[in-house]
Amino acid sequence: MADAFAAYPDLRHPFEERPIHGSGHTTVLYQGKTICLTETGTGDGLLIRPSDLQQVNGFELKPEGACFEAMCIPLNDQLLVQQDGQEWFNLTAFADLLEQPYVADVDSRVWSFAEIPAKRSNLLADGLAPDFEVTDRNGNVVCLADLKGKKALIVTWSSW
Amino acid sequence: MPVWQHIYEELNDPDFVLISAAQDTGGEAVAGPIFDATNPTYIQVVDENHVISSAFNFVNVPSAAWIDEEGRIVRIDESTYATTHQFGEGEAAFVFGNDIYAPALKDWVKNGANSQYVQSTDKVTGNIRQFTDEQLRADAAFRLANLFRAHGQEGKAEQYWKLAQSLNPDSVNFIRQDMTLTPEGSGGESFFKLVGEFASRGKEMSRPLDLEG
Repeated sequence: MADAFAAYPDLRHPFEERPIHGSGHTTVLYQGKTICLTETGTGDGLLIRPSDLQQVNGFELKPEGACFEAMCIPLNDQLLVQQDGQEWFNLTAFADLLEQPYVADVDSRVWSFAEIPAKRSNLLADGLAPDFEVTDRNGNVVCLADLKGKKALIVTWSSW
Repeated sequence: MPVWQHIYEELNDPDFVLISAAQDTGGEAVAGPIFDATNPTYIQVVDENHVISSAFNFVNVPSAAWIDEEGRIVRIDESTYATTHQFGEGEAAFVFGNDIYAPALKDWVKNGANSQYVQSTDKVTGNIRQFTDEQLRADAAFRLANLFRAHGQEGKAEQYWKLAQSLNPDSVNFIRQDMTLTPEGSGGESFFKLVGEFASRGKEMSRPLDLEG
C-alpha cells in the first residue's frame, strides 16, 4: 500500500492532555469555528452575553429580534433572560427554537452546535451552493462569496 | 493529487477556482506534506472538521461539487477522481478512479452552461442528500470529538466520535477518519468489514460517477 493509505497511530496521542479553555470559561463550536466565552450565566442551558451572539453564530440583536440576513427571530423572555440584574441570551433555547441540534459536554463546558436547518433550505430546494467558510493553508478565509462570477470545483479527499 | 494540479494548469483559467479540502483529523501534519509534494497553486484547505462535507452533505471522499458563476450547483456528490490510480502490480493490484471525470470537468470549464455535463436543477437537487436531525447532531458530535482529541482527551474524543458514527451510520467519513488513528489503519480488516456492512444494508459508500465512459 502507498503511504497515503498508511495508518497514523502516533497521531492518536498527539499531545499531553490539556484543558480546552481557562478556568470558568466556555467553548462553543459552530461551522468549524471554536469560540471561547469568558463569561456565561448559570443554570440550565447555555446563557451567553448578548454581545457575544454575533461572534457565536452570526445573528445580530436588533429591535425586531435576533437577525441573520432576512431571518429575524422575535425575542421573548425565554431567549433574553435576566439573572442577578444581568441580561443573558439563552443560546440553547434559541437553538431549540430553530430546530438546530447540538451536543454538549457540560462537565467540560463545551457546546457543539450543528448547522441551522433553515440555512440549508436553498441548497435542498434549488441547488444553490450553501455558504461555507474555511481557512486555506495560507491563512486566507475562503467563502462562497469569493466564488461569485467564477466556476468552482470543490473536492474533498483524505489520506485515508 | 498531482493530477489535479496538471488539470488546473492545463485549464489556466482565471475564472476557474479549484478548492481541495483534505479531511484529515491529523490535520496539517498529515495533509500538508501530501499537498506540498504536488506544488499546488489551487486553493488548499485542511478541513479537519469536515466543514465542506457538512455544508454539501457529502458522506465519503473523494466527493465534489461544481458551482457555476451564479452560485448554482451543476453537479454534486459523486465519486470524484482525477484519473485512474493503481497500487501494486498483477493480482495484488488495487485499481480505483477513472479517466472520464477530468475530461468532463474540462469541458464544463470551457463551455459552461452549454457543456453536456451540466446537470439540471432537478437532477442536482435529487442528488443532494437530505439530512435528518440525527445527521446534523452527528456533525456536532464529530466536531466535539475533534476538539477533545486536539487536547489529548482521547476517552471523550472516542465517546463523541462513536456518537457521531451511531447518529449517522451512512457517513464513511466519520468511520474512516477514526480508523486512521488505529494501528490497523483505514485500509485494514475493519475497513473491509465496513464495506461488507454497507453492501448488506444495500447502501453505497459513495454515489457512483454518473458519466458515460
